[in-house]
Amino acid sequence: MSRVMRTVGTVAALGVLVAMPFYLDAFWLQVGAFMMAAIIGAIGLTVLVGTAGQLSLAHAFFLAAGAYGYAFLAGEPGAGSAGTTLAGAGLPTPLAALLAVALAGGAGLAFSPVAGRLNGLYLGVASLGLVFLGQHVLFNARPVTGGFNGRSVPELSVFGFRLTGDEPELVLLGVPFGARERLWYVALACAVAGYVVAGRIVRGRPGRAMRLMRQNPIAAASMGVPLRRYRAGAFVLSAMYAGLAGILIALTARRIVPDYFGLVLSIEYLAMVVIGGLGSVRGAAVGAAFVTGLPLVLSHYGDDIGFLARPGEDGVDAATAVRMLYGAAIVAFVIGSAQQARKAQKARKGTPNAITITMDRARRALPGGARRRLQRQGR
Amino acid sequence: MKLSLRDVSLRFGGVRALDSVSFDVEPGTVHAVIGPNGAGKSSCFNAICGVYPVGGSVRLGDRELTGLPPHAIARLGVARAFQNIALGGADTVLDNLMVARHHLTRAGFVSTGLGLRRVRREEDRHRARVTEIAAFTGLDAVLRTPVAELSYGGRKRVEFARALAAEPRVLLLDEPVAGMTHHEKATTVALIRETRAVLGVAVVLVEHDMPLVMGLADRITVLDFGRVIADGPPAHVREHPEVLRAYLGAHS
Repeated sequence: MSRVMRTVGTVAALGVLVAMPFYLDAFWLQVGAFMMAAIIGAIGLTVLVGTAGQLSLAHAFFLAAGAYGYAFLAGEPGAGSAGTTLAGAGLPTPLAALLAVALAGGAGLAFSPVAGRLNGLYLGVASLGLVFLGQHVLFNARPVTGGFNGRSVPELSVFGFRLTGDEPELVLLGVPFGARERLWYVALACAVAGYVVAGRIVRGRPGRAMRLMRQNPIAAASMGVPLRRYRAGAFVLSAMYAGLAGILIALTARRIVPDYFGLVLSIEYLAMVVIGGLGSVRGAAVGAAFVTGLPLVLSHYGDDIGFLARPGEDGVDAATAVRMLYGAAIVAFVIGSAQQARKAQKARKGTPNAITITMDRARRALPGGARRRLQRQGR
Repeated sequence: MKLSLRDVSLRFGGVRALDSVSFDVEPGTVHAVIGPNGAGKSSCFNAICGVYPVGGSVRLGDRELTGLPPHAIARLGVARAFQNIALGGADTVLDNLMVARHHLTRAGFVSTGLGLRRVRREEDRHRARVTEIAAFTGLDAVLRTPVAELSYGGRKRVEFARALAAEPRVLLLDEPVAGMTHHEKATTVALIRETRAVLGVAVVLVEHDMPLVMGLADRITVLDFGRVIADGPPAHVREHPEVLRAYLGAHS
């Protein structure tokens, strides 16, 4: 694809996304906000798993750190449900959001002595512990988390303007701009920023170092990449992305409960990045939209889809159907990429040696004075 | 800068992979390390690169390398081309060469993510330099090609170019022509000669191809069972009785 085409495509896609709140109803806007939150979380995970080659099952933990961190830091102290008393820092909400991202990153950093030393499956198993630890804390640290019943999430606001609420009333082009419409833009802005930043990192110096580290740690170290620092760095980055995603999930759901942040959530995020193709930022976005959107849409239209059972009935309900669907999607992806690899191998066998440049040609290719320059710049 | 090994020893359990190995590599020379299979040639490279902790001392100029982690040794100017190609397969030749600039560049997660101007400048500057190195090694035509699409010989060449792109003082080449066609071998030998002449780096070469080593090396260290059995110019080593015994199993 040419550069111009790509730019046009990007601008068109952004235009459509910006126009959405004028056309979609509240349900679809909420689905969209959940999708964009998941996109951010999945991008963070694909950099960690796909680019740096560090398997993590702790993503749910860092999502929870962001979500609960925000709810606590922005929340006012007061009575919670079921007779609990909630603590809250009562900070301005944008500051609370920033601090919650930092908190998730800090949690990642605290884990970095482990994350920096282990890789692959070993890290996956070690990170599993964080999910159970996290849920235990969420259920039991009642003044902070509200315990089993969770706690409600304060709306994000700047100088009295609710970025995710209905106050003050706002009507744009005849469309009332309430909480759902505003939240859409907050989520969109975060998702676009997260996408751009991750893209730059993956294409740039840290991305190159992490990719070589994944494929051959000894080679990466021999090229000057400090392995521990990069493993820890990838982990912290992914934790911060998860933290931001957690905040957006909290703002969209308006109430957060510990049950949600379990192992299944971590596995769903792994499914997102595998479906999208490991290490691909765009793929993670597509996978996240698919895995998050599908269950919401299926259960919304569950009544119209004949074979799906309603909640409480026997049979396959929407949530189960969705798990089967993305199980199938993962299998399809893995088979597809295996076929692609075979095709590439065949193509290589078919083509003649790509480099048949002799030393003479190489020397001719050197521009005038290049040998001297080579000498001067070399040490 | 001179690379010196002094009494370097390495054991794996009861096996002495390296037993008091000492030799010097002068800048601007090609120094070959040869020996039968299992003699300790690759261990020697791993000892220099800091992959294994070793006894004794490895020095570059007046800097002690022993005990430093591999990335710190790379920073001091030791670059290595791997025998079993260790490149990022899906990445382009350019990206693979750019990795070698890691220790010469600064851009971190934050500044790269924010797309700062100094990051873009740094990237441009080093891309230009890497393109020169690609031209020097005859890879300029395939800069944008994923490494996985190159032939074996081509990937071997990228491996060599990547080590060169690290601007090394010491260049470690682990069997740089193994498995190459006759033509590719000749090209690589020309490249090594050119590198020695133009860049003046110290080249340490592990290779099995004897005629090639004899024709290319300025000095040869022969290892057998982890010990140095001969060290000197090719003419000296060729006639050395210990060497003949190690290679031919002759009783003299």
